[in-house]
Amino acid sequence: MNERTIAERITFHDAIETMEVDFSHLTMADTVQVDAFYDEVENRLADTGRRWYFLVVYTDCVIQAQAWERFAERGKGANVAHGLGTVRVGATSQTRDAIREHAGRASFRANIYDTREQAIVALGEMRKRRRDAQTAAEETFLRVENVSLRFGGVKAITEISFEIKRGEISAIIGPNGAGKSSMLNVINGVYRPQEGTVTYLGHPRHQMETHEAAAQGIARTFQNIALFKGMSVLDNLMTGRNLKMKCNFLQQALYWGSAQREELAHRKKVEEIIDFLEIEHIRKTPVGRLPYGLQKRVELGRALAAEPILLLLDEPMAGMNVEEKQDMCRFILDVNDQFGTTILLIEHDMGVVMDISDFVVVLDHGQKIAEGTPNEVRTDPVVIRAYLGTTH
Amino acid sequence: MQFFFEVLIGGLLSGVMYSLVALGFVLIYKASGVFNFAQGAMVFFAALTFVGITELGVPFGFALILAFGAMILLAIATERVVLRPLVNQPQITLFMATIGLTFLVEGLAQGMWGASVRGLEIPGIQDEPLEWMMENTGIGVSKFDLFAAGVSAVLVVVLALFFNKTRVGRALRAVADDHQAALAIGIPLQDIWRIVWAVAGLVALVAGVMWGARNGVQFALTFVALKALPVLIIGGFTSIPGAIVGGLIIGASEKLGEIYIPPFVQSTFGLETNLGGIEGWFPYVMALLFLLVRPEGLFGEKHIDRV
Amino acid sequence: MLYREAGQFKASYKEDQQIFPIRQDRIAIALILAFFYLVVPYFASQYWLQGIMIPVLIFSLAAIGLNILTGYAGQLSLGSAAFMAVGAFAAYNFVLRIPGMPILVAFILAGLCAAAVGMVFGLPSLRIKGFYLAVATLAAQFFIVWALTKFPWFSNNSSSGVITAQKVEILGYAFETPEAKYLLTLAVVTVLALLAKNMVRSSIGRSWMAIRDMDVAAEVIGIRPMHTKLMAFAVSSFYCGVAGALYAYTYLGTVEPEGFNLDLSFKILFMVIIGGVGSIMGSFLGAAFIVLLPIFLNVAMHALGGWVPQGISSNLELIVFGGLIIFFLIVEPHGLARLWQIGKEKLRLWPFPH
Ligand SMILES: Nc1ncnc2c1ncn2[C@@H]1O[C@H](COP(=O)(O)OP(=O)(O)OP(=O)(O)O)[C@@H](O)[C@H]1O
Ligand SMILES: [Mg+2]
Repeated sequence: MNERTIAERITFHDAIETMEVDFSHLTMADTVQVDAFYDEVENRLADTGRRWYFLVVYTDCVIQAQAWERFAERGKGANVAHGLGTVRVGATSQTRDAIREHAGRASFRANIYDTREQAIVALGEMRKRRRDAQTAAEETFLRVENVSLRFGGVKAITEISFEIKRGEISAIIGPNGAGKSSMLNVINGVYRPQEGTVTYLGHPRHQMETHEAAAQGIARTFQNIALFKGMSVLDNLMTGRNLKMKCNFLQQALYWGSAQREELAHRKKVEEIIDFLEIEHIRKTPVGRLPYGLQKRVELGRALAAEPILLLLDEPMAGMNVEEKQDMCRFILDVNDQFGTTILLIEHDMGVVMDISDFVVVLDHGQKIAEGTPNEVRTDPVVIRAYLGTTH
Repeated sequence: MQFFFEVLIGGLLSGVMYSLVALGFVLIYKASGVFNFAQGAMVFFAALTFVGITELGVPFGFALILAFGAMILLAIATERVVLRPLVNQPQITLFMATIGLTFLVEGLAQGMWGASVRGLEIPGIQDEPLEWMMENTGIGVSKFDLFAAGVSAVLVVVLALFFNKTRVGRALRAVADDHQAALAIGIPLQDIWRIVWAVAGLVALVAGVMWGARNGVQFALTFVALKALPVLIIGGFTSIPGAIVGGLIIGASEKLGEIYIPPFVQSTFGLETNLGGIEGWFPYVMALLFLLVRPEGLFGEKHIDRV
Repeated sequence: MLYREAGQFKASYKEDQQIFPIRQDRIAIALILAFFYLVVPYFASQYWLQGIMIPVLIFSLAAIGLNILTGYAGQLSLGSAAFMAVGAFAAYNFVLRIPGMPILVAFILAGLCAAAVGMVFGLPSLRIKGFYLAVATLAAQFFIVWALTKFPWFSNNSSSGVITAQKVEILGYAFETPEAKYLLTLAVVTVLALLAKNMVRSSIGRSWMAIRDMDVAAEVIGIRPMHTKLMAFAVSSFYCGVAGALYAYTYLGTVEPEGFNLDLSFKILFMVIIGGVGSIMGSFLGAAFIVLLPIFLNVAMHALGGWVPQGISSNLELIVFGGLIIFFLIVEPHGLARLWQIGKEKLRLWPFPH
């Protein structure tokens, strides 16, 4: 080994998240050297707690068969081999072949470049593509593209596209019959659009089964309360957790051991939601006997019981008095804050929409006529015309 | 081939009977959203009442009118006792109530007129083959069946006229579409229900008299009437043409099935037992298979629940 | 102040989730069980045991089965009797064809056969609802009875499908007296009723009720309609199947397919409606009511002497049944079970009604 220590041969390039190892003018003949090298690398990587690209410079480097063996062995379990890609520079054609073989055995990807500079550029690009893909996946939390939905001759929705962001509260507004509810129904698979795609968490889809949407973390309340009327508040909320229950029906029939424990664990979770929504006093009441406002609240509770990622609310405050509306607003904001749930709601009360939403989509006659922040939308002449046109 | 046609025509004509019963279901379902399981019992009630009255020496025509009167009374009583208290209840509750009504009506009918099997004669119409048809084609077609088909056709035309040309008829159609709209026409919902049940009673009377004349008036009528259910599934619950076509399909296929399927199955599987009597379930299973392909029926509209 | 909830604070969710959270209920149930297990077999006459208690228990089981399907899962069925027939004939064949088959295992297998058949006829429920489904179950009713009559294999080549149940023997003990048969029936019914009660208060039961109450909303929270409905059909038919096996083995001894006709299916439906839709307790009350009513009518008629014309009594039964169904649907849709509950609530307040 020549004068530079291994530690000195390792450099980190933060911008492209790459660890560079300089093997220039080095001869590796035995396993001891390789081990020393790997130990050092693992040491350094452990401190960073991240994954790095791996750039190795081979200018005038000689690695003997024995050393290659060792590389392959260590490489398998090591962090390095799990790296995102390995780039090697300046090797002879003999070395290149050896690298390829080695990469194959240690199962990682090896790209080979002629110069160090080329490799750094390429790595930068790779890094960027990855980051873009990541942000793209994050940004298209939910994207609706060119969705059209017809019922026989009635066009409920015509070529609507919009996008909502993770963690935000978005609203769909529009006059009666504009297609708002239909839009929600398309998003969680209750209606099947004839055309268009809905991309949710990076997965585009055309049509889907309703219960699949639930499995992907979409929960929902309805315009006309759709509680399970024959059941108590508690049972309604417990039903909301059905996807999280794993015991099979035989265990449930015996109601012993795991089934009982599971029931209790979920009961606890449900009680938290009951506390959160301040409905402790009615937990055993059949929902059919509750006043309208409380039923709406229970319905929200049932949706929350599923611990959704995306919560769709169809007119959560319709038919409520001012006080109930304030309560509901508070709950919605709290859900968004405390659980980080993304919310898409439909609401007729403009005051409420402007107060709580980050983003608004306006529909009319099944078409999107505007979108933007509440302020942008409020002053949009097209929106004003649509509302004046139908409400008077 | 001749035999095939004979069976086919016989089946189609008996299918007319199913159509008649199914028609009663459709009328009530369209106007009140009630699936009236008791329609078969009403057929039985009507036939028994009619026979009972003629046995008292009342002439045929007058007995018909009196029996229709009884059906109107039954309609009024049903509306008052069953429908009104259950208005706005789930459909399934009303359906179960009509099962109760079935028992009640059957019990009443037999309680009033006795449970023995009665013959019923329609003056001038015999159940014998049509001569010229027999001579020319060799296919035997019962005069009686033809007569029944003719009566049914007339009934359907009369009903169509009633629904399309009269004020009450139009109101009934409006009710089927939208209860609010019907109120705007100015006819109370209760009246509409009474009328529609009475019309269904009339249809039941015609069906009952026809069936009775063919097979005697007996309790088994109520089972035959149950076959209107598969008819409805095939035709769609809300369609009058559907009831007719469905009845014909069921009638024809059950007769053809009865003739051709058991021997076929027996010879294919080398069974020795007689597999006859599939008529009892064949229509239901056919309806089931049909459901899997076209749940809304031949003439029904596809419907997506609104949420 | 006999029946008070006050003062019984639940220290944990576990206590609150018990099958009978109120102490008085637990005591009452224990007393009832003790009564039926210990007192009845000693004091009831043979007629009462064989003619009333056993059929009431068996019909309770069938009614629980139908209640699971119709009362809890909201899927109407008019074919319960046919599934009982499957159970009866399956049990017969298992015992007949497999030497040394233990009778209880045969009952379970019979229930499983019925469950399989039930699932086949439940398939259409995925596409249709309510009375459409009634038609599907009618198909089961007519087809199964026909098949059992027409294929002699099922009845071991007896004429018109009549079968005679083999002796019931468990671990060498022969159940021959009405007392023994009664206790066996009671044991099977108690266990299955308990399991049913557990199911309906667990996740599967909630899924059934969710599908019943609002199927779209149920699907939206992730309940798979197909899975849930088929499960209801399977469990329900299992119960009916076991009831059918008991019907043959501990009640009648000799049965024929025609005995499991549409009329019997209606009877079971009436037990559910009158007893209480969506209530296990109600299934027992309804079964008792429907079994006892004709007996009561008969007695009443005899008391009236020759005044009542012949033939009226069977019609009277029809009229009373029909009338009661309508009456209950209008006045007390939750049936006798609800009356029972109201009674308890009254008791809870007694003697201070405020
Ligand atoms: N299941 C359905 N079958 C037939 N037509 C439907 C169905 N659902 C919605 N529509 C039609 O689609 C159009 C849009 O309805 P949608 O319920 O989406 O409107 P909306 O904006 O939610 O109105 P509202 O403010 O009244 O709730 C309407 O013309 C409606 O009649
Ligand atoms: Mg809407």
